[in-house]
Amino acid sequence: MNNLELKSQIKQVLVENLMLQTAADEIADDLPLFGPGGLGLDSVDALQLVVALDKNYGLKISDAEAAKGILKNVNTIAAAVQQHQTLTK
Amino acid sequence: MNPRVILITGANGGLGQAIARAFLQESAENQIWLGVHRRLDKAEKLTAENPDRCRTITLDVTSPDSWKAAVAEIVARHQRLDVLVNNAGHHQDSLLATMALDSWQKILALNLDSVFHGCQAVLPTMISQRNGRIINIASLSALSAPAGQANYAAAKAGVVALTQSLAKEVARIGITVNAVCPGYLDADSLTLDEPGRKRAVERIPMRRFGKPSEVAAAVRFLACAEASYITASTLKIDGGIL
Repeated sequence: MNNLELKSQIKQVLVENLMLQTAADEIADDLPLFGPGGLGLDSVDALQLVVALDKNYGLKISDAEAAKGILKNVNTIAAAVQQHQTLTK
Repeated sequence: MNPRVILITGANGGLGQAIARAFLQESAENQIWLGVHRRLDKAEKLTAENPDRCRTITLDVTSPDSWKAAVAEIVARHQRLDVLVNNAGHHQDSLLATMALDSWQKILALNLDSVFHGCQAVLPTMISQRNGRIINIASLSALSAPAGQANYAAAKAGVVALTQSLAKEVARIGITVNAVCPGYLDADSLTLDEPGRKRAVERIPMRRFGKPSEVAAAVRFLACAEASYITASTLKIDGGIL
C-alpha cells in the first residue's frame, strides 16, 4: 500500500471508529485532530483511536507523550504506521 | 437474546456462583468464564456441570499481568468479551487505630486495585467492539462506612467513584459501567456470630438477609440489552437499610 492509500485508509478508520460526521475525503492530511481549528477530537476519541490503530495496524502507543506526537494529524499517524510496518517486516 | 461472553471474578464465592448461575439461566448460549485464584472447588463443580458453557480461568485480580493473560485467552477463543463482573473481594475488619498497614494495603489491592486492573484489561476489547458491560460489586459499606471497616469501606467507596468516573469516559462508546452495593447476604463471606447476626437483622427493614440470587438478578439485568441507558449508577440491594 502506498502512502496515499494508507492516508486514505487512516481517514476511513477515523470516520468509522469515531463516528465522525465528516466525510473521509474532507479530512486534510495536515488537519490537526485535536484542539480548535481542527477536527475537534477529545480525549475519549484519542482513546478509541489508540485502540483502532492497534487493531488495524498493530501500532501500539504506550504512553501519553508518544500519543501526542503520533496523533497530531493524518500525516503523523501514517508516518508512525509506516515506521512500525518497516520495523516489524 | 444474543449469546454473550462473560467474565466473573471471585467466581468461587457464594455471590460469584449465584451470578454465574444467573447468566447460565439467561441464555443457553452464554459463555461464562469463572475467574478464580486460590479456591476453585465450587467453580470447577459448576464447570463440570456445564462443560460447554463454563470455563474456569486462573486470575489473580491484583496482578495486571494475570488480567492481561486471562483476557487474552478469552478473546483468543471467542474474539470478544461482552461483560465483566468485578466481584472478587475480601474484608479484614479492625479498628483503624490498630489496623496493620498490611491489612490496609491488602484490602485496597483486593477490592479497589483489582477493579482498576480489570477495567484496564477489558477496555481495549470493549472499545473496539463499541459495546460492553462492566458491573462492579461494591458494598453497602461504601455508602454507610461502618466502624471497623476503614480499609474495606474506603476501597468499596473507591469502587463506586471509579465506576462513575469510568462510566462517563466510555459512555459514548457503548460501554456501560455500574456498581452494585449489596447489604447483608446469606453468603459464605459473612462471618457474623449469632448475636451479631441478630443485631444486623434488626437493622434491616425487611428483617432478613438477602440471597445471593437476589443480587445476581440485578447484575444480570444491568448486563442485559434493556439496561443500555443505565450507566454510572449505584444500585444498593440491602432490604431497605439506607
